[in-house]
Amino acid sequence: MRAALAIAMKDLRSELRAKEMVSAMFLFSLLIVLAFRFGFDESVTAGSVDLPDLAAAALWVCFSFAAIVGMHSSFAKEKDRETLEGLMLCPVERSELFLGKVISNMVLVFIVDVLSIAFFALFFAYDYGGNTLSVVAIAIMGTLTLVLVGTLVAAISVNTKAREVLLPILLIPLIAFSVIMPSVTLTGDAIAGTATESVREIASIAGFAVIFGVIGYLTADYVFEG
Amino acid sequence: MSGWKLGRHWNLLLAVSSALVLVTVLLALFYAPVPSCSVKTANELASSMEGSRITISGFVVGLDVSDDVWLGVLYDYNLTVADFSDYARYLEAVRTGQLDGQWWTVSPVIVRVTAGGWFQANGPYLSVGAGSNVSATGVVVIMPDLTSVVLRCESGYDVVELSSPGAAGIMTAPIAQKIFYFHMPSAWVSYVGFFLTLLFGVMYLRTRDRKYDRIASSSAELGVLFATIAIATGPIWAKEEWGVYWRWDDTKLVTTFVMWLVYIGYLMLRAAVVDHSARARVSAVYGILGFVTMPMSLLSSRIAPLIQSSHPQVIASSSGSLSPEAGLTVIVAVVAFTFLFITMLIKRVEIEESEDELEELKRIVGGEE
Repeated sequence: MRAALAIAMKDLRSELRAKEMVSAMFLFSLLIVLAFRFGFDESVTAGSVDLPDLAAAALWVCFSFAAIVGMHSSFAKEKDRETLEGLMLCPVERSELFLGKVISNMVLVFIVDVLSIAFFALFFAYDYGGNTLSVVAIAIMGTLTLVLVGTLVAAISVNTKAREVLLPILLIPLIAFSVIMPSVTLTGDAIAGTATESVREIASIAGFAVIFGVIGYLTADYVFEG
Repeated sequence: MSGWKLGRHWNLLLAVSSALVLVTVLLALFYAPVPSCSVKTANELASSMEGSRITISGFVVGLDVSDDVWLGVLYDYNLTVADFSDYARYLEAVRTGQLDGQWWTVSPVIVRVTAGGWFQANGPYLSVGAGSNVSATGVVVIMPDLTSVVLRCESGYDVVELSSPGAAGIMTAPIAQKIFYFHMPSAWVSYVGFFLTLLFGVMYLRTRDRKYDRIASSSAELGVLFATIAIATGPIWAKEEWGVYWRWDDTKLVTTFVMWLVYIGYLMLRAAVVDHSARARVSAVYGILGFVTMPMSLLSSRIAPLIQSSHPQVIASSSGSLSPEAGLTVIVAVVAFTFLFITMLIKRVEIEESEDELEELKRIVGGEE
């Protein structure tokens, strides 16, 4: 676990210096929210759109795609600079390497989550029914599952030819049921203030976090190889 | 490498599986019974519930608007009936489609919504439209005209009347049901294929023997092929039985679709990695990860209290519910498709082997060694 933390700290420190990933994810999520704002312009102006529904859907589209951008570059960067080899030469278990990447990705994606929540509030003049904190809490939970499976798939796809395209193709079907659907429902419930009653969705997200976490931990040896 | 080379035996296998598929077609067409009217009609149900207070709710699909009558097709209807002693059993039967020991789904019940003054005042649309959920509470009344009107419940301005679409009460186009004998075995074989992808992926990771990778990839390919057949044949039946080709609120359909996407992703992943061992390695890991979707699809019509699915449950947990003829046809169909799968898998693995061999030869001729 200490090794994992060290790797995560290394990632975060280099990110703090270069600010590459966060700025890309930041702009990306800004643009997605903006696209929703433009797309729903007429109905928002007319007040005919169901804002809680739109907020839940837009936020999770935003989180998922921003996370894809981030998780992709967390490995692509290492691959291009040929530092992945160096990382693998470290006397560290591969599963620790995986955990380290999960932690650093989690932190970065979560920052972007919070920013997207703020952008949405700003662009749509929306206060999440006064339940912003529970929306953030749901974002943490869903993002954890998302990052657990996403980091593994990103580590897989970074070795391929069309890696930018392949990551979403491989990842989105996997997160459709495990993350996006329950999280959107939960976020809607959170805005309505009834998130704690949606035991099924919470259990589903947590269950998939465990499944993906275990698969990632056990297969890390094979993913980071050669 | 020669382990898979069956030569003449493969031809025999091909002949057997082709014959079995042919037998399946013949059985399905001429032997398996056309679903008949043994399921209780809505009328019969209604008479056993006369006077009960019911709430009916469900999903509206089709609609047909005439002057003052609005027709919709209601699915997933729930009847909440007070004073109906056997209600729980009935609800279970509705859910699993086994109202009378039959295994197919209960047909849509036509909902007739008559509207009164409110309707005329507000144009052709009521508070319900296609795609919406309707709910109404009222008392069951048996109408004198039993051919059309059965249950009546009143909710605000709307009168919801359940009626039976004809005498049979089920399957407005029963011939469509025969596609089941190809739909279900295809789905079964695709599940087998994806399971083999997982199994041989794990075997590859443990042994690093290329032959396991060849089997894993071949069975994923065939799994996608058969899943495509299952996904394509399902809507043909659904259009007849449910009135729509596809329902996004049906978990079975959506999970199967997602599973199909995952394994298409698996094939794309394989195509995108050049190096053999890296390809085998990462695709084995993705095969493990992607397998998460398989039980979701397989089990989603069985754990229905948790999720919403009106996809028929084929092998029901209780009561052997297939008629003997239909049962035999299903068994033959499953055996035929399994044989077909094995036959195709062996050939596909052989082709992969030859490709590898060819590459090896090219490398030697090219003098890279």
